[in-house]
Amino acid sequence: MQQEIELEKKPTGKRKIDLDDAANIALFLAIFLGVWQLAFMSGIWPKVSLPSPETVGETFVKLIANSSLIRGIGVTLWRLGAAFAISITIGMVTGLAMVKFRGFGRTVNSFSAGLLAFPSIAWVPFSILLIGFNDFGIMFVVIMSSVFSVMISTYSSIRNVPPTYLRAARNMGAKGLRLFWYVMLPAATPSLIIGVRQAWSFAWHAIIGAEILMSLVGLGFLLNMGRDLIDMSQVIVIMITVFAMGLLFDRLLLLKLEERVRSKWGLAQHGE
Amino acid sequence: MSTQQLQMKRALQIKEVSKRYGDLHTLNNISIDVDDGEFLTIVGPSGCGKSTLLNIVAGLDKSYTGNVFVNGQPVETTGPDRIVIFQEGALFPWLTVLENVEFGLRVAKIPKDKRRETALRYIDMVQLSKFVDAYIYQLSGGMKQRAAIARALALEPKILLMDEPFASLDALTRTKLYSQLQQIHQNTKKTILFITHDIREAACLGDRVIVLSYRPARIKKEFIVDLPRERRIDDPDLQIVARAILEELKEEVRLAARDRVRKEAYW
Repeated sequence: MQQEIELEKKPTGKRKIDLDDAANIALFLAIFLGVWQLAFMSGIWPKVSLPSPETVGETFVKLIANSSLIRGIGVTLWRLGAAFAISITIGMVTGLAMVKFRGFGRTVNSFSAGLLAFPSIAWVPFSILLIGFNDFGIMFVVIMSSVFSVMISTYSSIRNVPPTYLRAARNMGAKGLRLFWYVMLPAATPSLIIGVRQAWSFAWHAIIGAEILMSLVGLGFLLNMGRDLIDMSQVIVIMITVFAMGLLFDRLLLLKLEERVRSKWGLAQHGE
Repeated sequence: MSTQQLQMKRALQIKEVSKRYGDLHTLNNISIDVDDGEFLTIVGPSGCGKSTLLNIVAGLDKSYTGNVFVNGQPVETTGPDRIVIFQEGALFPWLTVLENVEFGLRVAKIPKDKRRETALRYIDMVQLSKFVDAYIYQLSGGMKQRAAIARALALEPKILLMDEPFASLDALTRTKLYSQLQQIHQNTKKTILFITHDIREAACLGDRVIVLSYRPARIKKEFIVDLPRERRIDDPDLQIVARAILEELKEEVRLAARDRVRKEAYW
């Protein structure tokens, strides 16, 4: 009678670092640096337009030593974090309101393609005139660029909860708030996290863009300062920093969160 | 005995229930009385409205005419005295087996240790004690349905409403579950309303089998299955009953196939 079926091993647990992957990444970086060095030595571009990897390395050390890079990162992250938190809150509340008030939901949803595709930089002039040349102006751009993604994904995740879950829950006596907390929200979580990841990427685009145009500190500002000083090595250092931070946040935070949820649900992991 | 007293003895009374979806007439004047502790199976061609009838009894579907009484009380909405076990189990993938079985009790605000105790008792009854902390995707199809049965039993309903719960399982798993379900019925004395399109399954499990016609579904015939428990699906005596049911259903299945509601095999 008893079915003795071995539980499948959870895909998480001990994850050994894939040596092949590490080797491939190292190889890729080596080729990248090599091509860069060759391009530099070819003399096609003046040194001022294309510095050597070595010069960029020196600038990197210099920017760390005078602490401008760390300060830039700090300011950018503070703005981004605050704006993103506001964006999540407003986005989720509005998304839920869209579910609750169907007419409102349908109307806003019909605008969603335009809202999601709207370029974040296009908010900058509006924000400068409305709020001004300050932290809040930048945060406004970040919020406007990511809030719709949170809102639309909240709306669609909740609406796409399989009706059998809701029927089963109602049948067991769940309704109102409890139905929402115990069933709708957890059932919507996997797709909600995807929306949050997307919103994070929009917010990241927006903050660098906004800082280039309207800030006196932060990574975007440092990038623009590199241009003003005709210091390509600084531009490249900041670009690499922006790249690395984008990668880090997504891989270490959001992807981990998503994978944890997906493995609990038994959904396929990315790349499988 | 007065009608009132008679109703009291009935666990469930379905009285002249009809339903239309616009032009589609799905249920036509269905009346069924189910005794306390009876195992009643309802068999009919796919798409005939069996599940609709079950949803009406559960209180999940409210747009019908007629009346449904549980213990003589009219049914108005869903209630913990009637719990549905769905075909796919409808277990929650974000919860463990234990948390799933506890779900209804948590909703009812039963204290934590009390509900844990109840849940563990029923998990034990369906022999899933080793899988208390497993997530749903880690269970086989048969284990999922057993967990769904435990989740329903944990609310200690009077009536179990089973909506083709074994339809998506393989034959071997199904055979095991027939035996387990009969034991559970024996031990708990629940009233069970079991819906299926599988004739042998209906005959094997039911004290009584009601055959529904194709749309609009009405009661075509009723069979009392007077065979000793625990029955096995390959019992020779059962085949005689099954054949008689099949005779009744042939015409209905032909009608259903003509309508091409679903392309499905019935036996």
